[in-house]
Amino acid sequence: MAKTISITKLKKQENLIGYLFASPWLFGLIVLGMFPILASLYISFTTYNMISLPRWVGFANYRILFTNDSLFWKSLGNTVYHVVIAIPLGIVVGVLLALLLNNKIKGMSVYRTMFYLPNVVSIVAMSLLWLWLFQPNFGIINQFLAPIYRLLDMEPLRWHQAESTAKMTLILMGLWTAGGTMVIYLAQMQDIPTSLYESAEMDGANWIKKTMYITLPLMTPSIFFNFIMSLIGGFQVFTIAYIMTNGGPSRSTYYYAYYMFDKMMLDRSMGMASAMAWILLVIVLILTMLALRLNKYVIYLGEEG
Amino acid sequence: MKKLLVIMVLLSTLLTLAACNNEDTGDKIVIDFWHMSPVGSPSFSGMRGIINDFNNSQDTYFVRGTGFSFWDYWDKINVAVSSRTAPEVGLMTIDDVEARARAGVLFNISELIENDTSLNNIDLSEFRQSQKDFATYNGDLYAMPFSATTRALFVNMDMFAELNLTEDDIPETWDELHTIAKMFDETDNQNNITRLGFDPTYGNATYHGWLWQNNLDFFDEEGLPTLNTQGHIDVLEWIMNFNNDFTRAQLTSFGEGNQMLGINPFASERVAMIVEVDGLYQIIKDAGADFNYDVAPIPIPEGGRHVNWGSGFSIELFDNGNTTDAERDGAFEFLKYLLSKETQIRLAEVNGWIMSHISAMEEHVAGDPILEKLLLEVDDAIDKVYIPYAPSWHGNDWQPYYNQALSGTLTAEEALAAARANYIQKKQNYDAVN
Repeated sequence: MAKTISITKLKKQENLIGYLFASPWLFGLIVLGMFPILASLYISFTTYNMISLPRWVGFANYRILFTNDSLFWKSLGNTVYHVVIAIPLGIVVGVLLALLLNNKIKGMSVYRTMFYLPNVVSIVAMSLLWLWLFQPNFGIINQFLAPIYRLLDMEPLRWHQAESTAKMTLILMGLWTAGGTMVIYLAQMQDIPTSLYESAEMDGANWIKKTMYITLPLMTPSIFFNFIMSLIGGFQVFTIAYIMTNGGPSRSTYYYAYYMFDKMMLDRSMGMASAMAWILLVIVLILTMLALRLNKYVIYLGEEG
Repeated sequence: MKKLLVIMVLLSTLLTLAACNNEDTGDKIVIDFWHMSPVGSPSFSGMRGIINDFNNSQDTYFVRGTGFSFWDYWDKINVAVSSRTAPEVGLMTIDDVEARARAGVLFNISELIENDTSLNNIDLSEFRQSQKDFATYNGDLYAMPFSATTRALFVNMDMFAELNLTEDDIPETWDELHTIAKMFDETDNQNNITRLGFDPTYGNATYHGWLWQNNLDFFDEEGLPTLNTQGHIDVLEWIMNFNNDFTRAQLTSFGEGNQMLGINPFASERVAMIVEVDGLYQIIKDAGADFNYDVAPIPIPEGGRHVNWGSGFSIELFDNGNTTDAERDGAFEFLKYLLSKETQIRLAEVNGWIMSHISAMEEHVAGDPILEKLLLEVDDAIDKVYIPYAPSWHGNDWQPYYNQALSGTLTAEEALAAARANYIQKKQNYDAVN
């Protein structure tokens, strides 16, 4: 009996210590996380200029956004465009880099570090750097492409300064940080048992076949993970447009988060901005739930098929 | 060992906390003042000197100054006002005083002036009525004009001399401006522009500034957008066509070259004339530029009026709800000090700004021909109106359409129609919830 009490006590003690260690995070979640989240839900049903007190307006903010706000749809369209192109492209580049760097050649760790390095650069510094690289008249990219422009007898691309190419320019710029996902792909790639490749080799499989039938299928968990994370992150694209294009030209890079920021900071319409935040949450939630259905196509090593 | 560790931790915590407050305020009532002279800025020590002199003259109040850069200041003060943690005294934009006064976050300065029996009360006659009107809500002052920004035509007189032009040739009308500007345009052997006479989009020239000269505006007296008249189209087309003897690519390339240099195109002598704020005087001075230049009123169209956009700062006393009477009185005491003639002269010297105190500035600029001319322009300066449904009507709301017109993506008529439709939609949405 005495032993039982002692174990219960120990368990309680252990729980207490667990909560104690988790308390900073719990405090952060409840006070710094949950309160603003719930407050923003309340504010989304009010009109609030951040000076006067919020005033309840029911669903008016949501109704206005859906029915009488052309910039809401424009910014949402721009964001969807960004997500639809940037995510698959990011996955392809990340996987290709991982395949490239999954070789046993001299100095490989140096190459891997080099590809990962852009991820430690601040996004503001990175945007300013690319601003100059893409600069149509003096930028190094157009200087480099000058012979091709001459060959094709075409005007140099204006990259982020032209409405037709601005979104793609920002997407291409984003690929510079593909090294971040590459690390995850690489880790999973190196987790694939060599016995599978050896068996395939004995059956006469070449590099392409091994990649198609062993490497890529067994990498689907990490591809799936990166897809979900990119989906969530993609809808929040803001900083690069804020720094590089100010949402232009002709609002072609005016993304959803940018419009939300302007609603709050320039229009002083916190109620509307909060409503936009909640709409974004619902969009991302629905898309993530749909994306999670793809889980059945993910191959987990060790699972029986 | 444990005790030693505890003592060390406590000691270091105490020392850290002690280091957080190195100002000895004694029993004085502390007044917070936010300004735009942060540590490391050229005006920091001057501003600190002004605050210290007030503190040294005081037995009751102690002013704690905090400086932020111009670019950081607005987010910080707006968030502080929203969260009712604003400083007792702070700078703000004068055009939207009404919104804050209506929300009850400002002290009524008219009342404080009326109740003040001291000899150093604020002399309201020393401040321009046009600025005081912006600071007035329901007949009472809720802010005071602090600085008086103005815009004028800066003219490179060395370039004028090259073409045997003199001060008498400085353009006064739009037609003269165009004729003279074209004399300065230069290109190199690859057809790149190397010098422009003038561009109505450079510097601080704005579409609404050009409209005002034509007795036009963005909004009518009821705040409804009025961009659909032929006059509006004509002004925008005048801007778009001013340098139409060059291709868009040439102009863009020249503009980007200016950006690359990172300094004002007038200060770098790439344009002969430019519309700029009075602050360019200080920029040129700081840059050590050695060319001769002059300042003149911005040329006006035929039948137009002399007017320029004067976007000065206001100084306000914030009521956070828990601000005590003593803090309010201390803030007012400091406000009186800041708006006194002597301090206004010192502030002008420290910041390089034109301040709002009329006789102080007349004394300050005396003997400096450029500053004297800039001060004259303040009399023609008006601020933009505050539109509640589009506070950034001249910026984020207008710029995309303006840029599309300038880049040739939209015609002047299309750009104005699209901008107007946007304002109307914003108004509908604002009215629906307010």
